[in-house]
Amino acid sequence: MKLRTRWSGLATALALSVLVAGCSESKSTNNAGGGASTGPVKMGAVLDITGAGASLGVTERKSIELAVKQLNDKGGVGGRQLQLITEDNQSTEDGAAKAINKLVSQDQVDIVLGASRTGPSLAMRPIAESSKMPMISLAASKAIIDGSQWVFKTAQNDAVVIAQMIDLAKQRGWKTIGLARDASGFGEGVAEGMTDQGKSGGISVIRIEKFAPDATDFTAQMVNLRSANADANVIWGIPPAAALAQRAYRQLGIASPVLQSHGIGNQAFLDTAGASADGLLAPLGRINVADQLPADNPQKKVLTDFIDNYRKAYGGEQPSAFAGYGYDAVNLAAEAIGKAGTNKQAVRDYLEGVKNHVGVSGVFTMSPQDHSGLTKDAVVMTTVANGKFTLMSKPG
Amino acid sequence: MTDFLQLVVAGLSQGAVYALVAIGFVAIFTVGGVINLAQGEFVALGGLVAIWAVGSGLPMLAAAAVAVVIVVCVAVGVERLVVRPVRSMTTLTSIILTLGVSTALKAAMLLIWGPDSKGLAPITGGQYTVAGVTVRGQELWILAIVTVVSVAVYWFYDRTVTGKALRACAEQPVAARLVGISPGAASMLSFTLAGLLGALAGVLASPLYFTSWDSGLVLGLKGFVAATLGGLVSVPGAIFGGLLLGVLENLLAGYGDSGLRDAVAFVVLIVVLIVRPGGVFGRHAEARV
Repeated sequence: MKLRTRWSGLATALALSVLVAGCSESKSTNNAGGGASTGPVKMGAVLDITGAGASLGVTERKSIELAVKQLNDKGGVGGRQLQLITEDNQSTEDGAAKAINKLVSQDQVDIVLGASRTGPSLAMRPIAESSKMPMISLAASKAIIDGSQWVFKTAQNDAVVIAQMIDLAKQRGWKTIGLARDASGFGEGVAEGMTDQGKSGGISVIRIEKFAPDATDFTAQMVNLRSANADANVIWGIPPAAALAQRAYRQLGIASPVLQSHGIGNQAFLDTAGASADGLLAPLGRINVADQLPADNPQKKVLTDFIDNYRKAYGGEQPSAFAGYGYDAVNLAAEAIGKAGTNKQAVRDYLEGVKNHVGVSGVFTMSPQDHSGLTKDAVVMTTVANGKFTLMSKPG
Repeated sequence: MTDFLQLVVAGLSQGAVYALVAIGFVAIFTVGGVINLAQGEFVALGGLVAIWAVGSGLPMLAAAAVAVVIVVCVAVGVERLVVRPVRSMTTLTSIILTLGVSTALKAAMLLIWGPDSKGLAPITGGQYTVAGVTVRGQELWILAIVTVVSVAVYWFYDRTVTGKALRACAEQPVAARLVGISPGAASMLSFTLAGLLGALAGVLASPLYFTSWDSGLVLGLKGFVAATLGGLVSVPGAIFGGLLLGVLENLLAGYGDSGLRDAVAFVVLIVVLIVRPGGVFGRHAEARV
C-alpha cells in the first residue's frame, strides 16, 4: 500500500513536470514572424502515411520528396536548400495535432504541408492559426479554409466537385439523389452542399448513409440506397472503403447510375474495385486523364512533365491525384518563399495573392476569400471504362 | 423482407469470420487463462501472406497452405518465446504481453507489405440471387468452411483424447498434471489451433473485406467480444456469439444509423459484462472463480 502511494506520487510528479515542460515549450516558440535567414529552408509535412488514409499519404510523400529534390537540384529556393521533415499522423486527428505541434515548436519549420485528409487537417488548423504558421492542406473539404488566415489548400474543394455533379444531374434530368458518405471529415458537409447547390434545379438528397473510413461491409448502406430508389446515387469516400462500397453497389444490382467523388483518383481504387467500377461517373482532376487532354490545354505540359518525372523516380508507378496535391503544395510554398523569404507573414500574404499558378491539380488563383484557388474548371467529368478513367464528351 | 434477409446474409458471412477469431481466443484462454490480443494480427498475417504468395505465382490452395504454415509458426513462436518463459502467468500479464506482440506484428507487416489494403481473388467469383437476395460465391464458401471447421473443433474437444486433455487442463490444471498431461504441450497445441484458425479466417475474409497491416485490430476486438458471449470458455458460445454480432451490426446499420455500426460490439460487451460476466452461454462461470 505504502509502495503504491509512493509510486502514484512519483507518477503525478512526472505528469506535472511533463505538463509544465509542454507549456514552457509552447511559450518559447514563435518569438518572431520570421525564421532563420541562413541555412536551409525548413518545410514540415504531416501526412496520413499509415492507417485509413495510407493510399493517399504514401503517394503524397513520394511526390513531395520528388518536388523537393527537383527544387534542390535547381539550386533550392532563393539560393537556400529545402529541408523536408515528414511526420506520420497515422490517419488520426490527435496524431496530426501532435505532429504539427512538434514541427512548430521543436523543428521550428518555415511552412507546414498537410494533412492528407480533412479530419486531420481540421485538427491542425487551429494550431497553425494560433502559432501564425503558414499551412497548405492536401485535403478536400471547404471547411479547412473557410475564414482562415493562415491555412491554404491544394485539393479541389468538395464544393466544386459537387457543382460538377449537380451540373450533370441537371443535364440528365435527375431529381433525387441518394448519398453514402464517409463518416469522417471528408464526408462532412457533402449532403448540405448538394442540397444547397441542387435547390435551383429542384434536386434533393433523399437518403443519407454513412460509413467509417475503415469499414469492410457495405451491404446495409447499399440496401438502404436501393430501397430509396433515387434517380442517381453518390458514393463519397476514399479507397479502400469507396471501392468496397462500389462493389456492394454492383452486387446488389442497384439500377440507378452511381457517382463517386474525387477521393477515388488513384490506381488503388481501380485495382480494388475491379470490374465493378466500370460505368461509374466521377468528377476528377485532370491528372487521371492527362493522356487524353488536347495539346492546347494549359495544364498539359505541367501534367506530362510531372507524370514522366514521377514514373522515372518511382519505377514506373503512375502518380495519383493525391500525389498531385502534394506536388502542388511544395511548389506553391517554394514560390512564396522564393519571392517573399521566410518571414511567415510575408509568405502568408504572398500565398493569398497567388495568380495563375499552373499546377497539377488545376490553375490556382487565390484571394482573401478563397484560400483554395481552384474553381469547378479544375475537375472534369470522367467515367471508368475497361478499368481506366476516361474523359467524358466535353473535353477541356 | 428482402432487405431484412439481405442484411442477415451479409451479417452471417461477416459474423462467421468473427466466429473463427472467437474460437481462437477460446482455444488459448481455456488452457492457460491467457487472453491473446494478437489473435486479430494472426488473421491479418494470414491474409497478407496468402496475397503475397498468390502474387508471387502460387495457386490459391498452395497460397492458403503457406499462409497457414507461416501463421502457425508465428503463433507457436509467440507461445515459446513470450508466453512460456513467464513463471506465474495471470490473465492481466498475458494481456500486456500479447498487446506487445500485436504491436510488433503490426509493425513487421507494415514494413514487409506496406500500408495499402489488398484483397485476394474469391475462391469462386460470381453471385447468386434468390428471391431478390444476393449471395456472393465467397460468402457461401465462408459459411461452408466455417461450419466444417466448427464441427471439427467441437469434435476435437469432445471426442479425441488430445482434445479432452486440453479441456482437462482448463478445468482441473492440477489433476491434469497428476494424470500426466503436460501443460506446456497443451499450451503449445492451443496456440497452434489459434494460429490455424486465424490464418483460415484471414484467407477466407480477404476477398470480401480486404486485408491491410492494421485490419487485425478491429477483427480481434470483435472476435474477443464474440468470445466473451461464451464466457471465453465455450466454443459453441463463441461461434454463436460471432454470428449474432455480425447480424446485429448489419441490422443496426440497416435500420438504425449506419454510422453506429462499430458501436454494436462494444455495447454488447458492456451489457454482457454487467449482466452475465460469465458469458451468456458460460457453464463454468462459478467453477472458475
